[in-house]
Amino acid sequence: MPANWSYVLAAYGLAAVALFGYWRHLARRARALSARRGAPVSYRTPHRTPS
Amino acid sequence: MTRVLGWLAALGLLAGVAAGFGYAPREAIQGNVQRIMYLHVPSVLTAYLAFGLVLLGSIAYLATRRPGWDRLAASAAEIGVLFTAITIVSGSIWGKPTWGTWWTWDARLTSTAILLLVYVGYLMLRGLVDDAEARGRYAAVVGILGAVNIPIVHFSVKWWRALHQPSTILGPGPSPIDPAIGLALLVNWIAFTLLFAYFLARRIEIARLEET
Repeated sequence: MPANWSYVLAAYGLAAVALFGYWRHLARRARALSARRGAPVSYRTPHRTPS
Repeated sequence: MTRVLGWLAALGLLAGVAAGFGYAPREAIQGNVQRIMYLHVPSVLTAYLAFGLVLLGSIAYLATRRPGWDRLAASAAEIGVLFTAITIVSGSIWGKPTWGTWWTWDARLTSTAILLLVYVGYLMLRGLVDDAEARGRYAAVVGILGAVNIPIVHFSVKWWRALHQPSTILGPGPSPIDPAIGLALLVNWIAFTLLFAYFLARRIEIARLEET
C-alpha cells in the first residue's frame, strides 16, 4: 500500500479548518452579543434629532 | 471554567495528534492512511454524544418547558452536525484509497448521511419558527424522532451486509485492536469529548445571551 499521506493531510486539514472556523464563529458571535449588552445606552437606542 | 475546558481541549488535541502520528505504529495492511481513524472514529462518537444530549434536552423540555433544556438540545444539535460532517468527509477521504471510491450507498454511509440531514432539518426548523415556545416544542419532537437513527447508524454494519467494517471498539466482545492503536484512539476520543464540552458550554452561553 502506498503511503497515501495526501489523503491523511486532506482529512486532517479539512477537519482543522472546520473546527477552527466554528471556534471563530462562536468567539465572534459571543463578542458581538457581549458588546451589544455592554454598550452604552446611546449605542442601543435610536438616534433622536433635537427638536 | 469554559476557558479551562478550552485549554484542556487544545492540549488534548495536541496529545491526540502526537499519539496518532508519533506513538501509534503504521498499520500493517492499510499503511498511513489508517491514521484517519484517529479523526474519523472520535468524530462519530462525539456526534453520538451530541445527538444523545439533543434527545435528553428534548424530552426534558417537553416534560418541564424550561428553556434551558431547549438551549441544550439546540446547541448540541449544531455541534453534532459539525462532527457528523467531519465524520462523513474524513470517511470519504479514507474510502478512496482503501475501497477505491469516495462514496458508496452502503448501509453505514447512507444511515450516517440521513443522520446529518435529519439534524440539519432540525436546525432549519428552528430557524423557521419565531415563537420560542412553539419552536422548542416542534424541535423537541424532531429531536426525539431523530434519535431513532443513532442505533440504526451504529448497528447498520451488523444488520445489513456492508462494505464498512464492523465496530471494533463498541462492538460485542473484546476489541481486536492493537493496544498502541487503541491508546491513540482513546487519547483522541477524550480530546474530542473535551472539545465538544468546550463548544457546548460556549454555544449554550451564546444562546442564553441571544434570548435576553
